Amino acid sequence: MRTTRRFALRVNGADHLVEGEPHTPLLFFLRNDLSLNGPKFGCGLGECGACTVLIDGIAARACALPVRLAEEREIVTLEGLAGSAGPDPVQQAFIDAQAAQCGYCINGMIMTAKAFLAVNPAPSEAQVREALRYNLCRCGTHVEIVRAVMLAVARARTGETGTP
Amino acid sequence: MNHSAMNDSAPPPPLSRRALLRRGGIIAVVAPRKGAPAGDSSEDALDLHVCLTAEGRILAFSGHVDLGTGIRTALAQMVAEELDFPFEAVEMVLGDTADTPDQGATIASETIQVTSVAMRIGATQIRTRLIGLAAAALTCSEDEISLRDGRLYRGEADIPAIGLDTLLANERLLLPLAESAQFKPIDHHRLIGRSVARVDIPAKVDGSFVYVHDVRVPGMLHGRVVRPPYSGMDAGDFVGRSLIAVDRDSLAGIPGIRALVVEGDFIGIVAEREEQAAEAALALKAEWRSFTPPDLSDVAQALRTHPSTPRLLVDEGDVETALGKLEKRLDRTYVWPYHMHGSIGPSCAVADVRADGVTVWSGSQNPFPLQNDLAVLTGLPREQIDIIRHEAAGCYGRNCADDVAADAVLLSRAVGAPVRVQLTREQEHLWEPKGAAQLIDIKGGLGPGGSLPAYDFHTWYPSNAAPTLALLLTGRIPNQPATLRMGDRTAVPSYDYENMRLTAYDMPPIVRASWLRGVSAMPNVFAHESYIDELAHEAGVDPVEFRLRHINDERAAELTRATAERANWQPHIGPRMEEYGEILRGRGFAQARYVHGSWPGVGAAWAAWVADVAVNRTTGEVTVSRVTVGQDTGMVVNPAGVTHQVHGNVLQSTSRVLREEVSFSQTTAVAARDWGAYPVLTFPELPAIDVLLLDKQHEAPLGAGESASVPSAAAIVNAVFDATGVRFRELPLTPERVLAGLGRLPPSAPAAPQLSAKSRRFGLWSKLGAAFAGAATFAAASFALAPSIAPIARPDPATWSAATIERGRQLAALGACAVCHTVKDGVPYAGGLALETPFGMVMTTNITPDPETGIGNWSYPAFERAMRAGIHRDGRHLYPAFPYASYAKTSEADLQALYAFLMSQPAVRQENQPSRMVFPVNLRPLLAGWNLLFRPQGELKPEPARSDEWNRGRYLVDGLGHCGACHTPRNALGAERGGRAYLSGGEAEGWEAPALTRISAGPLPWSEAELYAYLRTGTSQHHGAAAGPMAPVIAELKELPDADIKAMASYLASLSEPLPDAEIEARASRIELATSAAANPATSPVARLYQGACAACHEPGRTAALVNAGPALGLSSKLHAATPTNLVNMLLEGGQHGIGSMPSFATALDDRQIAELAGYLRGRFARGKPGWEGIEEAVTKARKAGR
Repeated sequence: MRTTRRFALRVNGADHLVEGEPHTPLLFFLRNDLSLNGPKFGCGLGECGACTVLIDGIAARACALPVRLAEEREIVTLEGLAGSAGPDPVQQAFIDAQAAQCGYCINGMIMTAKAFLAVNPAPSEAQVREALRYNLCRCGTHVEIVRAVMLAVARARTGETGTP
Repeated sequence: MNHSAMNDSAPPPPLSRRALLRRGGIIAVVAPRKGAPAGDSSEDALDLHVCLTAEGRILAFSGHVDLGTGIRTALAQMVAEELDFPFEAVEMVLGDTADTPDQGATIASETIQVTSVAMRIGATQIRTRLIGLAAAALTCSEDEISLRDGRLYRGEADIPAIGLDTLLANERLLLPLAESAQFKPIDHHRLIGRSVARVDIPAKVDGSFVYVHDVRVPGMLHGRVVRPPYSGMDAGDFVGRSLIAVDRDSLAGIPGIRALVVEGDFIGIVAEREEQAAEAALALKAEWRSFTPPDLSDVAQALRTHPSTPRLLVDEGDVETALGKLEKRLDRTYVWPYHMHGSIGPSCAVADVRADGVTVWSGSQNPFPLQNDLAVLTGLPREQIDIIRHEAAGCYGRNCADDVAADAVLLSRAVGAPVRVQLTREQEHLWEPKGAAQLIDIKGGLGPGGSLPAYDFHTWYPSNAAPTLALLLTGRIPNQPATLRMGDRTAVPSYDYENMRLTAYDMPPIVRASWLRGVSAMPNVFAHESYIDELAHEAGVDPVEFRLRHINDERAAELTRATAERANWQPHIGPRMEEYGEILRGRGFAQARYVHGSWPGVGAAWAAWVADVAVNRTTGEVTVSRVTVGQDTGMVVNPAGVTHQVHGNVLQSTSRVLREEVSFSQTTAVAARDWGAYPVLTFPELPAIDVLLLDKQHEAPLGAGESASVPSAAAIVNAVFDATGVRFRELPLTPERVLAGLGRLPPSAPAAPQLSAKSRRFGLWSKLGAAFAGAATFAAASFALAPSIAPIARPDPATWSAATIERGRQLAALGACAVCHTVKDGVPYAGGLALETPFGMVMTTNITPDPETGIGNWSYPAFERAMRAGIHRDGRHLYPAFPYASYAKTSEADLQALYAFLMSQPAVRQENQPSRMVFPVNLRPLLAGWNLLFRPQGELKPEPARSDEWNRGRYLVDGLGHCGACHTPRNALGAERGGRAYLSGGEAEGWEAPALTRISAGPLPWSEAELYAYLRTGTSQHHGAAAGPMAPVIAELKELPDADIKAMASYLASLSEPLPDAEIEARASRIELATSAAANPATSPVARLYQGACAACHEPGRTAALVNAGPALGLSSKLHAATPTNLVNMLLEGGQHGIGSMPSFATALDDRQIAELAGYLRGRFARGKPGWEGIEEAVTKARKAGR
């Protein structure tokens, strides 16, 4: 049955009401209703990770996540990482390591890294690579991306913040 | 920065070319605009290359675009350098057709090498003029004036002598672009040669960057296209002429549809919301003429036999004679597969077609050629079409960006509003013009003393014009193929062969192709540099030493020496085959200068590789562990940028060499529609990369965008030869190919499918006819209709208390009444759903309280008789698809509450549809006989020995819950079987309903806790997720109180044999280990399909990493079931419409891929179970059922 209804979404700390069908992927609402461009459409199949957001701190592939499963949970997008003091440390590390070429996959890289570092704040490089295994990059920016994540790890350990 | 008027958060747009040319206070370097009438000096007729404003802004214009390589930053560096202004003062405008000069497509790594020259000259001109103006204003000589960091100084003073605002206030100086200029000497460079952080990265990292995918304009609608079945084919009589009919009614019921646009073979849909357009594109039914794809099962053969025209590129000396006199003759063939560009974002565009012109926001690599295409498409003059260029997902060639822009134009024109068109992943994979396959034959060999008397090189390359698709689909341009001359890139080897003949075979396309990074040069160099390695081996000389003996280019020799030294190359003769257990290690060298452009072409940067590889001789897996790459780029503008490009080239080309190959099918041409079928390199496979940039700042800058890809294939293949002694001449180096080359068999393949048991469903079907034939005779004679019960006026819902109605609501949820009595997209309880049963199609009825079409005129006794005895109010017998045998067990009080609930629902008038039953079941009176045989037992009596919870659970399961209706097998007459068959597995709507008892097929028994988790959430970590018809049941069960769910779990758990928790955990972790990636190397295409399509969510051990993560497949009931039915259904249908989040793979995978994947998953995850039979049939059946 077609069951259009309203969904209460809490995104980047603000409450929103969107209207649609329960199985429609969260990504459409984030991009088209809330104008959040950080999460990108890459495959619609959960394969590439470009659409990654955080839901209750865990990485979620928004292109394949029905909106009903995101209701009344804490959603954070790339736009929601930065604080008043500037970019999130992981974002800053990506800037400092110049970890983007076309940058289309970078949202997924940063959000996946955020979720991973929350669980494992001091990983080895091999663990970082493993955590990013299912995020695809076509430009071959992998080297810089791994460096960026390891830079964020090192800074978290030493308390350094990087150049804003 | 990008134009971004459409985005709230974006910076203000840069000044336009026209606005700049009209205003005062500027010095600008201009040139006649392409196509402008001679002598016209209006702003419309002038190109602007560089412009300095009185406010100190510098705008520089290039018709080339940034493809994600950081060219925007490097160009700004060059302009700022020559102008002596701060880097930050320069704003680049790239690729917008209204503003920038037409410099053609952004190809061949020529932006820095060729295109930037104009703006660099322009910057120099402005600098000179500025100094002249200052000297005049200050009445001193120009020698006294210096320009530093954007300020003008006189003599030794450290305070600026005059401001730009004063100097330029009343000037409007338009300087004609000079043909050449004296650039700054190298030793004065402050910016060129220094690493500068890219200007685009901060916005890409915080989400504020506006990609073309992010463009939104007011009133914008959303479009999707439906492509023809001849996927990835763009030449032939069928192109643009294959559509027979489109069924507009197939979109009925989808809200928000604004237009269905059909023209020739072009189909597009416009909707208000993106998901509506997406749904419509999937739902649209179109009929197409059949077509036969080319046979690409053997790419080499296809290339060799495709009609081609030989073109002699070089014929030096007498090759034929020299070939006859060789000491050692070596004839070799090298084969390169079709590749994809593989942009991570499928192409997207926004178009706004208005009466006064067209604006297109595009990620095109070729804004000006696209402008021409759109002029042809619309019949409008070029000048009325503005392309605003935004960055898109990296492409490294030409993807579907132009196609989608034209699609958007057609759709916008149809609806008179701006339309955004987003291609799907599947469409991008199928239709992107592929990087072409190539076939190279080399005849030659060794002369006396290791000399090189002859080189006879033949290269076959299918053309790659890839006309913009909409032009072909609508018939605007002929569907006959064009033959280009593009197979000759880097066709000349860098070694002194005494007699040399080079022949390119030009041919029309086989499948749709375009240029991809290192176009035709990568395959040609794969051949050149493999062949020289083979010669070195034959000559008994170290491969680097042998090259240096014959190399004919000093810069190539210098780079070869430097790179070998950097890598600590150890000279050696023949393959070393160093063994480390099952791993063989080796090292390979290759080098080339990338020569691109029309024959004989232009040289870009030189690059050389030393590749270190590890080959697993058990699995055939090749790992590139380290790449030392040297590059001579001439003058380097941004060393960090060039290093970054080299990294990108190394990783992308390693991916292409090891993994990538477009697969083709017998029905649709291109077969790969997702990342599973076209896998690319992932993080764990990264080689270490050491980049050596030669210091050549005194030389001209050379293109750096592609060169480092060019030696990749030969270096890796040469390293594999060093490791194994086996020479591979066909790519990619998949484990299967390597194992075959090593003469070894693949490691223990998953069990071959060979189960003999037929599915229960088919067994049941075959018995039916006979059984019913017998039953019919006696039943037909003996039983008549039951009496009807008089209709009543619809009862007033106020009759019942709110508590009774609420209780009824919960019971309706338990019975999942709405699941069957509601059609897709229909009103709840109004009926109309077709239930497929072994006896035919039962149409569910309207059970809303409408007096005429529903049950509004049913008294409670009529309702109770229907529920308990399966008899309609009018006396007709109901088909046992309505599980009254279960409902009969319900208490009087519960039935009354259910009646109260249904009677208090809104009445909906909806006529019932007749069921279509097979003979003799279509004779309703026979069902009375059925009732006599399988008489419902009436209300359940509690078992006093059991707990209240258990008894409550049994009441819910066997009564209104009617679990047995699906989970208990039925006998030949369609009744639920008793005894040991109870809840031992049945079927529902084309799905297998698994056993709920101790014979459950999963590797772990059901525990009370897991049953509770499953019934409450739809997912059990030990059994998997509810799918198919069970998903809506779980959704309905949400209405039930926890106590009832616990009671059902308690009762159902008593049907299984429990295991201690510790044993369950131990078994689960053993299964996880045995099914892990480590234990199952991806040594087949289907294993890689799993890796790309499934593993992100299902890989053992990763289930906590993603919100979307699915159940552990090693424990899933679907994989352990006797038939593939549920797995196949799940792959095709997904769980998004139910309770889970698994997407449907129905459009991403074809029947063959689904069947192979199902077989692979069974073999890998259902350890110890026999392979499935009949997978293909299950796929066919599921597709027929619309999955």
